[in-house]
Amino acid sequence: MKLKVVFAIIVCKALRLVSRLMHRGGTAMPGRYALKICPQLLSVLAKNVQTVVITGTNGKTTCSRMVEEAFEREGKKYFSNRSGANLIDGITTEFVINSSLSGKNRCDYAVIECDEAASVRVFAQMQPKVIVVTNLFRDQLDRFGDLAHTRDSIKKAIGSVPTATLCLNADCSLTSSLADDMPNRVLYFGMNRGAAPNKEKAEISDGDICIRCGHEYEFEYINFGHLGGFFCPNCGHRRPEADFAVVDIAHQSTEGSSIVMDMQGERRMVTVNLPAMYNIYNAAAACAAVCAMGMDKDAAVQALSGFKCGFGRMEQFDIGAGARMMLVKNPTGCNLVMEFLSNIKERFSLVISLNDRTGDGKDISWIWDTDFEQLTALSGRIKSLVVSGDRAEEMRLRLKYAGFDENAIVTERDCEKLVEWMKGEDCPVFIMPTYSAMLDIRQVIVKHCGGSEFWE
Amino acid sequence: MELKICHLYGDVLNLYGDRGNIITMKKRLEWRGIDCAVEKINPGQTASLAGCDLIFIGGGMEFDTRLIADDLRAGRAAELKAAVEDGVSLLAICSGYQLLGRYCQDGKGVKTPMAGVLDMYTVCGKERMTGNYKFVLGEKSGGYEVVGFENHQGKSYLSEGVEPLGKVLCGHGNNGEDGGEGARYKNLFGTYSYGPILPKNAKLCDHILLTALERKYGLKELEALNDRAENEAFAAINARLG
Repeated sequence: MKLKVVFAIIVCKALRLVSRLMHRGGTAMPGRYALKICPQLLSVLAKNVQTVVITGTNGKTTCSRMVEEAFEREGKKYFSNRSGANLIDGITTEFVINSSLSGKNRCDYAVIECDEAASVRVFAQMQPKVIVVTNLFRDQLDRFGDLAHTRDSIKKAIGSVPTATLCLNADCSLTSSLADDMPNRVLYFGMNRGAAPNKEKAEISDGDICIRCGHEYEFEYINFGHLGGFFCPNCGHRRPEADFAVVDIAHQSTEGSSIVMDMQGERRMVTVNLPAMYNIYNAAAACAAVCAMGMDKDAAVQALSGFKCGFGRMEQFDIGAGARMMLVKNPTGCNLVMEFLSNIKERFSLVISLNDRTGDGKDISWIWDTDFEQLTALSGRIKSLVVSGDRAEEMRLRLKYAGFDENAIVTERDCEKLVEWMKGEDCPVFIMPTYSAMLDIRQVIVKHCGGSEFWE
Repeated sequence: MELKICHLYGDVLNLYGDRGNIITMKKRLEWRGIDCAVEKINPGQTASLAGCDLIFIGGGMEFDTRLIADDLRAGRAAELKAAVEDGVSLLAICSGYQLLGRYCQDGKGVKTPMAGVLDMYTVCGKERMTGNYKFVLGEKSGGYEVVGFENHQGKSYLSEGVEPLGKVLCGHGNNGEDGGEGARYKNLFGTYSYGPILPKNAKLCDHILLTALERKYGLKELEALNDRAENEAFAAINARLG
């Protein structure tokens, strides 16, 4: 066993070195081979590391960066899977890189983003100290089966770590109910009634049906999607009290938000250094996680005001009159990005880039559940509307049926030409790419105007 | 002219992009000056299907189907059957299509009785059938090629008397064995092409709309539209499927 571990570590480190010499990321592949040699490698490497693992449909990366910022500021020795390689092979690679040849980790802590589908294997081996589930929405169904299946996976994964503290979204019935029948300690985060303007129930909603009895939920208020004050008139299942609760959104701008958060009974004014409503949720999740890891509330509050944008998530680039990249991958996230755009007062150009590779989800039907109709209200302020990506034609078709003139939509698949055009635009450009489209466009932007490689 | 569309079980069976079919039907009617009213009927609601010209049933998640089975038993099955026999147009997709059969059998071998509108049954297969796929419609349904995305574990088998909607050109279709895709009976169109089948298959959309308009108004033909964006979206994925 011991020999196998050492051999697996050597192979993994060597493959990573070769990848980097060839200017590749080498984020997942080395771990994949290491796990073939020693399938339980992660459990050996994670033994002496206190880990917080973050999973859920939306907000994994941003929440991870927020938590990471707290570790950084507190001067803790930690590592994270920043590259976004969040399946068991990529996570294993990160653990190996931070370990000695004998498998002893150089860090005391780890902040790990984990894909929902990978949670069963990862949690069981990693035995995290804290598990954060941000929310559950429909997402990449071709990969996961369906949402019920995804939820079952996470539930099973949690079942293998009874000692972990769970940080769960109180407002998401599919998430908060993960604590049912579990012995784990739970901290809930959420947004209380009156903090945000009440929304109408979305036409397409994922958490409508009571997870316990199958009856339809009623809602005292809705923040967005199915997140809000749900209760079941049949069996009484309802939103749990949040331990970390956003009680007021004092101010929102295109730079960030000022909010009031009740943190386990203490009221704090918190600045979130990223705009948009969904990042307020990410902030609440990060606060719960930071405190669950044993740091104090000040560390959490300071981290939120100081951290920088995640990779492709509201990331800004100094190109032309300025560009901002906002990753989109499912209807709820995409609707929230468009809601953010509706608050932009100046004229802007918009690029929507739709790919259907493995990292994006091969099924692009989600664009028909997304309310691109709300963009038509902004059409007076949109200077150019550009579609790009492998499925640009399908995106253009969606926009046609949303109410745009198909002849006014520009198709540009070539990233070089796209970036060349962005350089000459005299107004800000917002880019809404799916995951692999983000990588493609970002790479070209970085080549032209600087920025870090994706694994940095 | 006006078509009344019923989106049956719309709050439960709406898995991924089914709304695209409603949007497409509505727009393509409106662009021709034909009014369109869409009404949702959910499980447990007693609203009648009488007076509706076209019924749409989408796909759903596994944990929602028990609600549907109960509702079918409570009388909706008989009503659906009568409507189809009467020539009402019906488009049913994925689990909406499965529920029109006699029964569905899950992975543990448990059979749940379904609507029995179609002489067909569905059993849970071992592997999920997922991906872009292509089929050619039967002559009766226009004979066009259709591209879609399938994602199902259920394998459906039609009885002798029921025609498939089309023949699989690449992908799996009903069961991955007999080459059949979907079902066509009177003005019923069943398919495994889940989610938004109609937007980039505009000809199929018009064909279905016309069955309803012919029944109601005796219309034989639809005014042509500029379908450049539709045809290019079709061509892009069709080229990839080869």
